[in-house]
Amino acid sequence: MTRFHAAHSLTEALALLHEETDTRPMAGGTDILVRMRRSPPAVPLTLIGIEGVPELQGIREEPSWLSIGAATPFAAIAASPLIAAHAPLLQDAARAVGAPAIRNMATLGGNLCTASPAGDSLPPLYVLDAEVELASKAGRRRMAVSDFILGPGETQLEPGEILCRVLVPHAPPIARCQFEKVGRRRSLAIAVASFAGLLRVDGAGRIAGARFAFGSVGPAAVTVPEAEALLRGQLAVQPDPAAVERAVLAVCATVRPIDDLRASASYRRALAGNLLRRFLSPPSSPGLNAATGHASHG
Amino acid sequence: MADAVSALAVGWPETRADARAKAEGREPYAADLYPEGVLWAGAVRPGARLGIAHGRIQRIGTAAAEALPGVLKVLTAKDVPGTNRQGIVHKDMPVLADGKIRYVGDPVALVIATSREELEEAIRLVEVDIEPLPAVYDPDTALADGAPKVHEERAGNILAAAGIRVGGGADALAQCDAVVEGVFETPVQAHGFLETENGVACREADGSLTITASTQAPFRDRLEIGHALGVPFEHIRVIAPCLGGGFGGKDGATVQCLLALAALNTGGRPVKMQWSREENLLAGYRRHACRIEYRLGAMRDGRLHAVHCRLVYDTGAYAHLGGEVMALGMEHAGGPYRIPHVRIEGKCVYTNNPVAGAMRAFGVAQATFAFESMMDVLAAKLGADPLELRRQNALRPGDTNCAGVVLENSVGIGGCLELIAGHPHWTGRAAWKAAAPPGKRRGVGLASVFNAAGYGANVRDAAIAKVELTADGRILVYNAVADMGQGNASAFVQMAGHILAQDASRVEVRQPDTAAAYPSGSSSASRTTFTFGNALIAACTQLKARLINRAGLLLFVDDDTALELVPGKVVHAPSRRETALAQLASFMRPEERCCLGEFVAPLCRDTAGAGNGFFVGFPHVIFSYGAHLARVEADLATGAITAVDYVAATDGGRVINPVMFEQQVHGGVAQGLGYALMEDLATRQGQVLATDFASYPMPGALDLPDIVSLACESEERTGPFGMKGIGEVAMNGPLPAVANALADACGVRLWRAPLTPERVWQALDQAAGQARESAA
Repeated sequence: MTRFHAAHSLTEALALLHEETDTRPMAGGTDILVRMRRSPPAVPLTLIGIEGVPELQGIREEPSWLSIGAATPFAAIAASPLIAAHAPLLQDAARAVGAPAIRNMATLGGNLCTASPAGDSLPPLYVLDAEVELASKAGRRRMAVSDFILGPGETQLEPGEILCRVLVPHAPPIARCQFEKVGRRRSLAIAVASFAGLLRVDGAGRIAGARFAFGSVGPAAVTVPEAEALLRGQLAVQPDPAAVERAVLAVCATVRPIDDLRASASYRRALAGNLLRRFLSPPSSPGLNAATGHASHG
Repeated sequence: MADAVSALAVGWPETRADARAKAEGREPYAADLYPEGVLWAGAVRPGARLGIAHGRIQRIGTAAAEALPGVLKVLTAKDVPGTNRQGIVHKDMPVLADGKIRYVGDPVALVIATSREELEEAIRLVEVDIEPLPAVYDPDTALADGAPKVHEERAGNILAAAGIRVGGGADALAQCDAVVEGVFETPVQAHGFLETENGVACREADGSLTITASTQAPFRDRLEIGHALGVPFEHIRVIAPCLGGGFGGKDGATVQCLLALAALNTGGRPVKMQWSREENLLAGYRRHACRIEYRLGAMRDGRLHAVHCRLVYDTGAYAHLGGEVMALGMEHAGGPYRIPHVRIEGKCVYTNNPVAGAMRAFGVAQATFAFESMMDVLAAKLGADPLELRRQNALRPGDTNCAGVVLENSVGIGGCLELIAGHPHWTGRAAWKAAAPPGKRRGVGLASVFNAAGYGANVRDAAIAKVELTADGRILVYNAVADMGQGNASAFVQMAGHILAQDASRVEVRQPDTAAAYPSGSSSASRTTFTFGNALIAACTQLKARLINRAGLLLFVDDDTALELVPGKVVHAPSRRETALAQLASFMRPEERCCLGEFVAPLCRDTAGAGNGFFVGFPHVIFSYGAHLARVEADLATGAITAVDYVAATDGGRVINPVMFEQQVHGGVAQGLGYALMEDLATRQGQVLATDFASYPMPGALDLPDIVSLACESEERTGPFGMKGIGEVAMNGPLPAVANALADACGVRLWRAPLTPERVWQALDQAAGQARESAA
């Protein structure tokens, strides 16, 4: 039978992870409990509850970054003025997670450790160049989110290690950003495809930096540096359609979607391209200062 | 409460009798029962685990499971005392599989344990060897020569095959000025009720069985259990508390026979069975997938002239009500229109897929997709307005419908279409469409719908109601038809209060119990409130007369017209005297305080030879009607369709309670939109692909539009207070209305449901490709 220990500090959580065998850290439990029900583990697990650990909670502005405790639930991210100011893309993604009850339980760190290709927070964190901080009895280490996630369900998290913070580095202002999630319904949906994009511009309104990441179209969130490079120098409000089409083609050629119950690979591939095209050809060209993203879900 | 003294009145939006108890979590459901010392029973369904949908059972190893502490028994087919066959019309479904499994959910053993955890462990430990047999996973393969047989005795895997012919049949298509045709496919849909299949059973000291279950048919359950297990039905008591949803999925045996079998083996200890969601999606009933070939012909002036269609329903491994589902779909396949020449052919086919059975809009939702899509295709071909074409051909009283039945009951389709014609969403459609945001297209679609009420010919559709004046002077209705949430029990309270002039605090309802209520049909077929309500009117009218008579005796009054029932008492206005109902009750013996009323629904006895091959349930005489309008927005980048607004005009005769009427329409439209847009309980090689509500999406609040419900009140002379059942009719509209709206928006038509973003995108992509080709 599964055992459960609630930890009250990071030190205690790390100690419990070491003392017991077959332990797993658990925050909101919205993924791990569902997985354990679907396929009961071969050996009984001991779950170490970390949602009550103070060091893993909260959103703080620090000199170099915005620090988000790994056990911060999505509901808090969705409601945070700090997130709205520094990482609106992540806020839109947080609002697209599950439904209110899920968002009250599910945490940002959990979403990363689950490492689902469909994880809603992944594309925004990739384009924001976010990092994770991991703690173990041996100390702490940091790495980019895109390095942390290795593939479906696979991360660099070692046994005995806990993901404790997500760090969104301060960066030059973003002119426009958008998160979009296409699912089979508008809530409680697993993404068929998702998209996070942002543009930075120079003084002349030309794209100085474009970043895109796509969810559910590869083993992890997919970035397409080639497409990003193709758009450099284009007018952000009205990029050259030929450049847009080249970027769309690059995306369609790069993503590696699969067929599953929710959608086919060919649809996902086209969708990834369409979501980028829509982002780059905004129907009602919003002002360059409109820094808030717009989440929409199919 | 200030208004506690006003009597309940039919036609008013009285508060549902169950509202407070349900809101407060006090309403007892079967799933809430945990009797002292209860044991747990669960089925071993090896097909999913082994990946085998059709196979011969070679060995069932129970020793390891039986050796577990906490396991009482592991039963197999040899332990089933009766025929080991269940089924409503056709008894073809084993309680525990003997010989072979015919689909992935077939149970081969029943485990009884002292806790749920031990039960689950024991179920895993039962070893089952099954030799795979060649299988059939779709009707075409099942119908092919030499196909493997699902049931040895069923040649060609045909459960039912029937035909309808009116006028000159299909030959008349040759006389038409315009003929349109199409092939439609509809998905399997899950009922998706919150309370999964469950119950508790106990063998009493006298040897009888008491079963409390989440069931739509407590009286019929007794017969089914008795037949399967060889127990006289009079030794079986079934109690049916409020259901946490049913939609047809609890019409027929789910847990009943398994639970009764368990209770025969526990030495008098109560035993509980509760299916998980996974088990519900694996072994529960579901809506039939259907393929429909359709040809519809009209004259130049828009008059429909002939229709020819073929419907093939996939019933899965067992009959359940498959033949009847097919029959009802066929009976509606011509739409609510006047068509002089009709040919409809239907087949219901066994496959090794999970068992399809009853579900809200029983076979009709499938057919409606076809005929209402065809009406729009025809309108386009004729250059006619889709609403005008429907109005022109809408059935009127006295017309002959597509099943050859002359309509002698109320027919409100014309009135429903008028309500839509005048609605701003229809009259203002051009402006609304033109205001579509960039990257989106908007469209408005219509659907005319109808749905029969009652069991149909050759099945006795009857109910017996009992009403009692309790010893303390209150009114108690003995409901015999389960309330699965549709509100029939509340309607009965309202009717009884109306007739007996009592307020809500003085009328109670007792949910079905075969030991207290009287034999009545199931809660199904849009017949629940209609049939039982009529019986209840008879019972209440009799009780009213009796109370007036007894009050006259007590008050020495011989003029009945001077005596009036009011809340809590009978008053004699001329003398200002009165007698409280409690006092009247003390003046009466227990048997005097009870009245029974009976009703048998009207049946069609003359079909003018229109149908052949039907077993039971064809044809019907009473129909509810509706006209639906959907406003949708299609996202060209994703293919996603958003239902933005919805209007449903419904003819359900006179409305008993406007709020409950609206709730039924809202629920039907919501479930229909799920069917239209996302629900598809697909299988591959007989294996169910979805295991939960994450992999089987149903619409949530954000997916549903504002739904406007308009009542078109015809007067149904055979109905209680003039009403007709509307439990199903609204379910039929959304799929065709949305498909028509999509075609209006984007010029693409989908022939296969659900209309997922991917399918819409493919259709848009294909249309764009064709446009490019023709431009080149």
